[in-house]
Amino acid sequence: MSGRITPGVALLLALLAAFVVAAVAAPILAPFDPLRQSLLLRLRPPGTTLAAGTFLLGTDDLGRDLLSRVLYGARASLAVAALSVSVSLLVGTLLGLLAGWFRGWPAILIMRLVDTMLSIPAILLAVLTVAVLGPGFLNLVLVLGLTRWPRYTRVAYAQTLQVANLPYIRAAEMAGSSALRILLRHVLPNIAGPLMVVATTEFGLMILFEAGLSFLGLGIQPPFPSWGSIMSAGRQYVARAWWLTVFPGACLFVLVLCVNLFGDWLRDRVDPRSQSR
Amino acid sequence: MMRALGLLFLGLMLATPAFAQKDGLVVDLPGDVATMDPHLQWDTDSYTVYRNIFDNLVTRDATGKIAPQVATAWRYADDRTIVFDLRTDITFHDGSRLTPEDVVFSVQRIINPAFRSPQLSQFDQIVSAEVTGPAQVTLHTKTPYPALMAQLVKLSIVPKAVVEKLGDQRFNQEVVGSGPFRLRAWQRGVQTVLDANDAYWRGKPAFRSVTFRAVPDASTRIADLRTGRADITRGLSPDDAEALKSERALQLLTVPTERIAYMFVNAQAGPTKDKRVRQAIAMAVDRDTIITALQQGYAKPVNIVLTPANFGYVPDVKGWPHDPAKARALIKEAGAEGATLQFLTSPAYDRRLNEAVQQMLGEVGLKVDIVTMDQPTYLRRRQGTPEEAGSLSQGRWSCACQDADGVIFPLFRSGSIWSKFANPAFDAEVDAARTILDPGKRLEHYRRAFEILRDEVPGIGLFQDVAIYAARRELKWAPTANEAFFVMDMKWQP
Amino acid sequence: MLRHIAGRVGQAIVATFGVLTMVFFVMRLSGDPTLLLVPEGATAEQIAALRHQLGFDRPLVVQYGAYLADLARLDLGESLVQRAPVAGIVGERIPYTMALAAGSLVVALGIGIPAGIAMAVWRGSVLERALAAFVLTGQSLPTFWSGILLILLFGVNLGWLPTSGADSLGSLVMPSVALGALTMSTFARMTRIAVLDELSRDYVAAARARGLSLAAAVGRHVLRNAAIPVVTVTALEVGNLLAGAVIVETVFAWPGIGQLAIQSIAARDFLVVQTVVLFVSVVYVGTNLLADLAYAAIDPRIRMGA
Repeated sequence: MSGRITPGVALLLALLAAFVVAAVAAPILAPFDPLRQSLLLRLRPPGTTLAAGTFLLGTDDLGRDLLSRVLYGARASLAVAALSVSVSLLVGTLLGLLAGWFRGWPAILIMRLVDTMLSIPAILLAVLTVAVLGPGFLNLVLVLGLTRWPRYTRVAYAQTLQVANLPYIRAAEMAGSSALRILLRHVLPNIAGPLMVVATTEFGLMILFEAGLSFLGLGIQPPFPSWGSIMSAGRQYVARAWWLTVFPGACLFVLVLCVNLFGDWLRDRVDPRSQSR
Repeated sequence: MMRALGLLFLGLMLATPAFAQKDGLVVDLPGDVATMDPHLQWDTDSYTVYRNIFDNLVTRDATGKIAPQVATAWRYADDRTIVFDLRTDITFHDGSRLTPEDVVFSVQRIINPAFRSPQLSQFDQIVSAEVTGPAQVTLHTKTPYPALMAQLVKLSIVPKAVVEKLGDQRFNQEVVGSGPFRLRAWQRGVQTVLDANDAYWRGKPAFRSVTFRAVPDASTRIADLRTGRADITRGLSPDDAEALKSERALQLLTVPTERIAYMFVNAQAGPTKDKRVRQAIAMAVDRDTIITALQQGYAKPVNIVLTPANFGYVPDVKGWPHDPAKARALIKEAGAEGATLQFLTSPAYDRRLNEAVQQMLGEVGLKVDIVTMDQPTYLRRRQGTPEEAGSLSQGRWSCACQDADGVIFPLFRSGSIWSKFANPAFDAEVDAARTILDPGKRLEHYRRAFEILRDEVPGIGLFQDVAIYAARRELKWAPTANEAFFVMDMKWQP
Repeated sequence: MLRHIAGRVGQAIVATFGVLTMVFFVMRLSGDPTLLLVPEGATAEQIAALRHQLGFDRPLVVQYGAYLADLARLDLGESLVQRAPVAGIVGERIPYTMALAAGSLVVALGIGIPAGIAMAVWRGSVLERALAAFVLTGQSLPTFWSGILLILLFGVNLGWLPTSGADSLGSLVMPSVALGALTMSTFARMTRIAVLDELSRDYVAAARARGLSLAAAVGRHVLRNAAIPVVTVTALEVGNLLAGAVIVETVFAWPGIGQLAIQSIAARDFLVVQTVVLFVSVVYVGTNLLADLAYAAIDPRIRMGA
């Protein structure tokens, strides 16, 4: 049974925790100021030791310490992903609950909006919205949050439809509980599992999305680092200064992989059917 | 689709490196041609391609001097009337003769507001054009207009009969010119293939065909070059160039251009409204380090907001020295310590330069916020009111006319959309310099104009940009200061 | 059944109309292209004159009305940047987009489905974990980086594949792999769940009790039944495969509509963007409608309202 916390899952959780710690404690862990440039120390390879200290992961194209930037970059990447997933999870779930509970016109309205949103490719919608709002951390969270909610709504809607017909929920309704109370107390806990599964996949996607927008020049704004912006800036130097993309790339890879594998494990736990065999 | 693929295969076969004789040249450009019609757009990729299909009234020689092309000679009848004698031995690709009517038609077409040419502002000093002889046209300008010849370098001559027969929309698809190459196939978003015009009046081109491919990513263009899929590409950064130096099969072709890298400093709003802050910024920016470290030497120092490749360059107006201590003191004096400056920019501009300037200004006590927008939004704000335009931005300006009139007039003349600076004395100088023909007198006006700019600092000249092309080693070509890309001037020598 | 079809088609039209409206207004909010069309030295009057000629000084509602009127006459308009009919500009890119979408589906399904089946059948094994990590690779690396690594390895160093362009089957390989890798894990996981779901059903147990091997059970019954959710996911991914390939197309210089859309957004070439989105939306809505109707035909219980 993969429902238990196996050593593998423990390793996953430990790695995820490590990323969070690195992000939160970046100011303590970072050996240098991540924004401090020395134009004369550009593109030094990992392990370069100078009077200023040792650049463990080398320096970037403005002579900034890469290790410090990767640590601070974890903050931006994790924060963008966590916040945008929260926004879309919140909006999406709320709309899904409403549609599933009230059905009829609200459902038609909401689900048509979902269709509309889903049929515009997410990256185009994001680029368009960034063009209107301008880039920047908060706008990025908003753009990602407000373009990705339909994925949650679909799941929340389908799940709510199922759950709403369960006898005890109907009983609660007949006993006079308010709709809001029933939704929050009884329906939400029942549908939280599948939503969390969506959220884990989305979390990884959002980190990549931010990286993609950085490549298009619309991600986290310089000089502040995110893994995506470090990589898209370092991409030009793939042959000459491999460290600029390999280190943040490896972090991004491991993190997204962990989150997704965690999501798989979570899904197997919450989906009772796929457990029995 | 099948036909498109067929054409592609054909193009590819021509593009495959031949051992004995190089038939087709392959050029990787960042983008596709927007319109093949030379009068309908103003963008570098289109310009690079269509200039090989058309002739211009005049051109520039290797030294940058205005030289005859369709016109063999010209003289001023009075200071607003210029008479051009034309060649009579030029034929268009359809076999018809290039006549004075075609020249007049081309001028009238572009200056007709209803035609909506994006290049209108470069030619709108021309009031009218008329045929005044079997091989002669006469142009009339609104005022005496010294930059006219420099602008005419960019005026492509189109065949009147063909344009009228096909209509503008079809002409754009099936352009007919008189230049060294004719259009064979244009697959939008993919590539443009041109064939040599063997009957070209200046001689047979060295290549049987040229293919311009649209490859948006610089790293991919470099990969194409390394594998021989492309023979030459432009738009490389200094760091790209450094990385290519070790490639034996490749060479770097570089030339200082008329493009000036500059910083805009808002003189009409925000903390930089104070002249002392602007002067402090000029002293805080370490241009030598930018040139050596960021540009890796692919740049030339300048003292003013103009390059030596432009008319109007005055070498003896002093630039600001790099002096952070003095800058800090001046900022303190102005009470601007810790003031926040908005640095507006877009992905089109070098991100590293923005960040380097941000740190340099941070060191003298100014906080710089880099605000990145997409290009249209950036332009809207930069060209908007002084309050919208932010305190700082960078740019690389070229008028493709090699004249100060195309640079400091739009950048700093009050009333221009780019200018956030209003100085009557400066306005008087640049106004005068654009309406007199005597070069000596014009230069004097520009000297005084640059002295005002030096004191007022509505902008800072950072460096003269160097154009970097990378090519297969066999390609022989000398790029020019106006960034023209004439395949006619290229040769292949294995 | 007819009523159901009519209802679904109606909803599809509403969704497409919503897309069209949303994109129209979002694009207009981002400013108009006049400034991008003029050369650097243009004066304010010249810009205003061009803006007037292009009609961008009219009220938004009027512009919207004019757009709808044109659409009703099936006129997609003319590109401001390319000065050519939008239908042609977008139409020329569609074969390339279709080729890339097909190529990436081959990669994604060709790897994703077998991987998903193996993950379900050998559930809990090391193999499952390894496969899970493998199919996730594509989704865990930014394409702009993995793409250039692919080009350097297979294009430059090994010389097996063309480094860029769209001129042969060979040049389709790398973009297809890069794009397919992005959705591979979605298909693999979907297949895994669907197969697990089917494996847990009574008929499988019965079949196995009759002595049918696991492989035979999967091959004979499970796959057929597991196909429906996989088709659903494919239909949902259509939009992303068509125009979501922005970065892949940029890196590999593949002339699809994704690259066209992003360049047209940057150029504020409104009608081109609107037409691309309209096209994607119609294909997306159409595909999902077909998938929907197919199930309704198979299983009448699905005919519920929304």
